[in-house]
Amino acid sequence: MVDTNSVLGYATPLIVSPGERVRFHLSSRSMTECGVEVVRVRCGDPDPAGPGLRLHAMNSAVDGRRPLRFQPIRPGSFALVPNRLPFGTLSSFGFACFLWPTWPAKGESERGAIQTVAARVANGGAGWRLEIGPDARLRFVVAAAGGRTATAIAEEPLREREWVFVAARYDAGGAMLLDVVSLDPQAGRDATSSAGTSAPGGVIWSGSAPLTFGARQAGEERGRPVTADHFNGKIDRPRLVSAALPAGELRGLCEAVDPRPGDPRIVGAWDFAHGIGTDRVHDRSANRLDGQLHNLPARGATGANWDGSAVSWQARPEHYGAVHFHDDDMADAGWEPDFALEVPPDWPSGFYALRLTGTGAGGDPMDSFVGFFVRAPLGQARAPVAFVASTATFLAYANSALRLDQVHAESMLEGLMQLSRDDCYIAEHRELGLSTYDTHSDGSGWIYSTALRPILSMRPRANSFNYVNDTHVLDWLEEKGFAYDVIADDDIHREGAALLGQYRCVITGTHPEYYSREMCDAFDAYQRGGGRHMYLGGNGFYWRIAWNPALPSAIEVRRDVSGVRTWEGEPGEAHHSYTGEFAGLWRQNGRPPQRLVGVGFDAQVFDRSAWYRRLPESHDPRVAFIFEGVGADERIGDFGLRNGGAAGLEIDRAEPTLGSPPHLLRVATADRIGYGGLPSPEEFRTSHRGLDGEQNANVRADMVFFPTAAGGGVFATGSIAWACALSCRGYDNNVSRITENVLRRFLDPAPFAGF
Amino acid sequence: MLVNDPAAAHFEIDPDRTDLVEEFRRNPKGPHSDTLRKVLHRMRWSGEGGRFVLVTVEPGRRWVLGRLPERRGRPVELFHNQTFDDPADAEWHVFKVRWQAITGRAIAGGRSGEPD
Repeated sequence: MVDTNSVLGYATPLIVSPGERVRFHLSSRSMTECGVEVVRVRCGDPDPAGPGLRLHAMNSAVDGRRPLRFQPIRPGSFALVPNRLPFGTLSSFGFACFLWPTWPAKGESERGAIQTVAARVANGGAGWRLEIGPDARLRFVVAAAGGRTATAIAEEPLREREWVFVAARYDAGGAMLLDVVSLDPQAGRDATSSAGTSAPGGVIWSGSAPLTFGARQAGEERGRPVTADHFNGKIDRPRLVSAALPAGELRGLCEAVDPRPGDPRIVGAWDFAHGIGTDRVHDRSANRLDGQLHNLPARGATGANWDGSAVSWQARPEHYGAVHFHDDDMADAGWEPDFALEVPPDWPSGFYALRLTGTGAGGDPMDSFVGFFVRAPLGQARAPVAFVASTATFLAYANSALRLDQVHAESMLEGLMQLSRDDCYIAEHRELGLSTYDTHSDGSGWIYSTALRPILSMRPRANSFNYVNDTHVLDWLEEKGFAYDVIADDDIHREGAALLGQYRCVITGTHPEYYSREMCDAFDAYQRGGGRHMYLGGNGFYWRIAWNPALPSAIEVRRDVSGVRTWEGEPGEAHHSYTGEFAGLWRQNGRPPQRLVGVGFDAQVFDRSAWYRRLPESHDPRVAFIFEGVGADERIGDFGLRNGGAAGLEIDRAEPTLGSPPHLLRVATADRIGYGGLPSPEEFRTSHRGLDGEQNANVRADMVFFPTAAGGGVFATGSIAWACALSCRGYDNNVSRITENVLRRFLDPAPFAGF
Repeated sequence: MLVNDPAAAHFEIDPDRTDLVEEFRRNPKGPHSDTLRKVLHRMRWSGEGGRFVLVTVEPGRRWVLGRLPERRGRPVELFHNQTFDDPADAEWHVFKVRWQAITGRAIAGGRSGEPD
């Protein structure tokens, strides 16, 4: 078995221009050195039924043997307010907030686990902590510098996903109090309790420790805080005051979304509704104790006062004063770079990888990769064709553990799952951070994904979806001798239509699923301006995403309302925190994919793939170019590497009511899909029998063409499996022929006549 | 919070329906009859008898049987003495294990009916 993970790494930036520098951050637990080689990827799929791995060695300046070291990943999000003047001057104090714990019983399954709500502890542990103990009960701990410790413990365990108000006070006279007040104390939900105990008097608080929310500081490493005992759940409107106030008074300070900065008792009054699109936390007090979020906890989260009167954080930000922390959030592994490559100016644009070889931990040969992309220099297209690296999709699926964690996978696939060594690695190494298809350890969905961590699914030898499938298009382009540039989603988002406009034809791959508004605008303008677009995939242009405005190659996905969702977002949290835009499907945002590319997602079909038959419109002379060399009754794509056909996995259909253009010609269809073809939820209004592909003609893949303004055109195949049939029979097959016919015609500037 | 409930797959499997066993033995990959589809859905959704998987040893050529952990973060258990060069053989193996776990009755033989 080839070892693909004894060495892991990531590249920064993920996408680089010739002449620029890309840094490689590597880590290994077991190896002290490995072979390193930069390769350009032609095919990343080792399947022996296909072209096999086809990697072109670049003979780069960094090739050779490289020493390795272990660099840890420290998951878990938190907020950190650096030490400031008021902290060390406190004597008595009170801390209060609203709390929505999502996994209070963590200590039962993860023995002894503690979850920190707020803490201010120095190295060595002296200080105070408000935390959930292993028994799900809230407790307030004061540890004096001399080792004297006192703890006040709430009587009742906290309940999962139930709001409570909590107030902890330390009186320098030698007492401490803890109150928990349930906001909905009925029908068995009441966790209200009060606890008090004596405490060491006159504690002198550290003059250097930071204040943390969602974790406690446990040290520092290379200037980065190391934290422990992370919290799962929401914290809303935390307040720190300079006296052991009664719980009722603290409650009033927390209820006030806009506490008076002039109140001299208030040390800090943090407002998480401020700067929701950032990683900063804002203090409304006169002390301005602003802080920083780490590892991207969820923002734009409903607070204890959310009442449904608004469902967008922009409409009523005061209802969105919560941050949802997770003990497994991971946004930045923070690894030191091991070496860097100056990408030579003459390197062609493409999918690239750093290949890492040696003997892995178990004695197996290791062949691990770090994926990255080289763009053409911006503004200097080097080929008439651009292939889009669907980096947003690659990020959305990065390190998915869906098949490991969710019970539906085997039923959906209608057969045993085939896992890779990477899947087995992820099963045990959740610290890598999962994908936006996964759930956090508390059951809530992952909404952010970044490239500052190893992404096992975005490199050669990865599971055969997205990245690896897309390399079948690259392989075919090279086989047929078409020169191409690679452009990435990140660049399309940032550079817009001007980037696309450099190319006579732009090809989107097997699964361009995740699109920002800016990316949709770019394609719309490109097509209207005479651009030609070949969409060789399925389930494209489906989810509306937002890109992090400050962090490169980082996206946000919210799964609410409809669509194929492997988790369902919280009510009121369907708007992106980065932009405030309503998330969900483009179909629900007034821009269904059918309007942009003629077809839109209708079904998943993972058990067997189908073939297309020509439709009468395929004989229209205006589209004769598509079928040159293809017989009238030929089965198109009754072969392929993905379940034996070219129409499969995820498929799209034309639908005039959703915007398929009047001039669209539906030239072929695969509409005999079988019972494994199951429509996506937005494709039916009510549940009824007969939804599956055996009985439902709307479960199908359509092949379409339509002209756009100024001589442009769009061709779509509506199937993820299409590209994985290109290489069959030595590339001499009707899927390859049709693709080549269209690409050659799309490269011919003559407008499409007769429409 | 919508969750997938493993216990939701509650189709009652008739242990006397050996015709369904034979149908699966003949054709593990399907398409299958309506009743066999329901049997398979229960097996695959509920996890009764074990959440078995295949782990690729050699892409497209050889797989080893594995079982998913009950809890996150634990390793995938590998049965190194159970390797397959045809996924259909693995489907049959797992079907037998699950049939016995649910009905209490063992099924003998390999896919072509020979003792295994």
